[in-house]
Amino acid sequence: MDQRTESQRVGDRLDAEHGTDDPFAAAIRGTRMSIVVTDARQQDEPIVFANDAFLKLTGYVRDEVLGRNCRFLQGPGTDPAQIAKIREALAAGRDVNVEMLNYHKDGTPFWNALYLSPVRDDSGEVVYHFGSQFDVTEKKRFEFELKEAHDGLERAVRERTHDLQSALDQKTVLLHEVDHRVKNNLQLISSLVQLQLRRSQEPAVREALSAVMERVGAVSTVHRRLFQSDDVARFDLADFIVDLTDDLGPIAAERNLRIDLSLEPVSVASGKAAPVALIVNELLQNALGRTFTDGGEGRIHVIVERRGDSYRIAVEDGGGEAERSRLEKAGGRYIVDLLARQLRATVDWHAGEGTRVEITLPVDGMVPA
Amino acid sequence: MTVSRMRVLIVEDEVLVAAELAWLVEELGHEVVGQAISSDEALELAQKHKPDLALVDIHLTDGPTGVEVARRVSQDCGSMVLFMTANQKRVPDDFAGAAGLIAKPYSENGVREAVTFVQHCLEAGCPQRRPPLSLTVAPSYAERWGVGGVVKRQESPTSH
Repeated sequence: MDQRTESQRVGDRLDAEHGTDDPFAAAIRGTRMSIVVTDARQQDEPIVFANDAFLKLTGYVRDEVLGRNCRFLQGPGTDPAQIAKIREALAAGRDVNVEMLNYHKDGTPFWNALYLSPVRDDSGEVVYHFGSQFDVTEKKRFEFELKEAHDGLERAVRERTHDLQSALDQKTVLLHEVDHRVKNNLQLISSLVQLQLRRSQEPAVREALSAVMERVGAVSTVHRRLFQSDDVARFDLADFIVDLTDDLGPIAAERNLRIDLSLEPVSVASGKAAPVALIVNELLQNALGRTFTDGGEGRIHVIVERRGDSYRIAVEDGGGEAERSRLEKAGGRYIVDLLARQLRATVDWHAGEGTRVEITLPVDGMVPA
Repeated sequence: MTVSRMRVLIVEDEVLVAAELAWLVEELGHEVVGQAISSDEALELAQKHKPDLALVDIHLTDGPTGVEVARRVSQDCGSMVLFMTANQKRVPDDFAGAAGLIAKPYSENGVREAVTFVQHCLEAGCPQRRPPLSLTVAPSYAERWGVGGVVKRQESPTSH
């Protein structure tokens, strides 16, 4: 007996056992859900039952499907992994859910949400498989479109990020280049003034050029510090003063002057760094101008502290003989007053035994580091 | 303290900066054995004079070749090398064999202190004081001299 006939026979028996008055059979035959039953005991599991919904879904007539294995629904676009998943579940006696590409009789594809479940007899042996098919082509199309849109967006974001990153990289290179040039030019200016200073024997000229050197030096120290921190927008005043006084240390030592620092960490907006640094430089240089003829030790005290909504920078020295105050001789006081106006700062000059100069800056533009 | 005379090579493409530096070095009592503006010149002068100290700018007339100059001069001529550069991020992590760097724009005092510091190190084998702030000591030299890890400052956090 060939398989076709055997399947027909099994199908007929199922029909006979479940007549038209069997409500469950009627439901299976009439439901809009596509359903097939395959015979697990026959070679290659042929279909022994297919309802009308299955025929409508696949486009075949009943005679064309009975006795055949369900794989006739598969085609070139069917994913072998899904087929393997079915085979594995069947072999293990498990039910299985897959979504796979199947083909209508006319060759057009559709996405089939397939559910397969074993049917066992009283002894537990698998005798049939029950399969239901559901056309999910629309849902799949929607999923594909969504994924495409998503991938497109991701691609666009990736490209955009890449563009922004290259733009940022370029700007960073440019920033380093500009920083490099500013520093080299400051070096050049400083060397030029120093070379000029070496050529002059005239005390007044030497004095003036020295003052210019020191001022260029103060601005140079600002620039050296500016790009050393991660925050290019802020400038640490305490660090600057430490740098400047370290530089002046040997000169102070020569003149028997000790420099004491009482510095609260204060950061200044980068734009205000140079004027603040120039003021501090003038005050320090003035204090360094003190000479002690009696061999005693002098003391310079530099203070940076916050007082309410302002900051105070104070430089005091303990007196001693000044040849001529630098603040007068090199126009230091003029520079300090001008810069104070620019910074909206007030300057208090206290002349007693020593000199004490206090600069009070509004907190705007200066914040605790 | 007896200050001995070092033989110093200046490698700097900006001739005015080099000229002033030469004055400064001689003022400190040292001898300037040569001034080079390119890597070829630098290597030739270094081979010829075997200087005690080479002050090396990174950017020379033939490009950013100062790093290679530092490596060759410190290895082949046994010279101590200090970078003098405005472009600190060009200095490799191992300092290419250099003992440290002086950041531009430097001050005259800063250079004086740094040169005197390394001179003492050369004479005594170890420093007699902490290094001046103007000098960033290379990690290997910081270890050798026991002056604490002066870590090369990180510049931009941006990745490339």
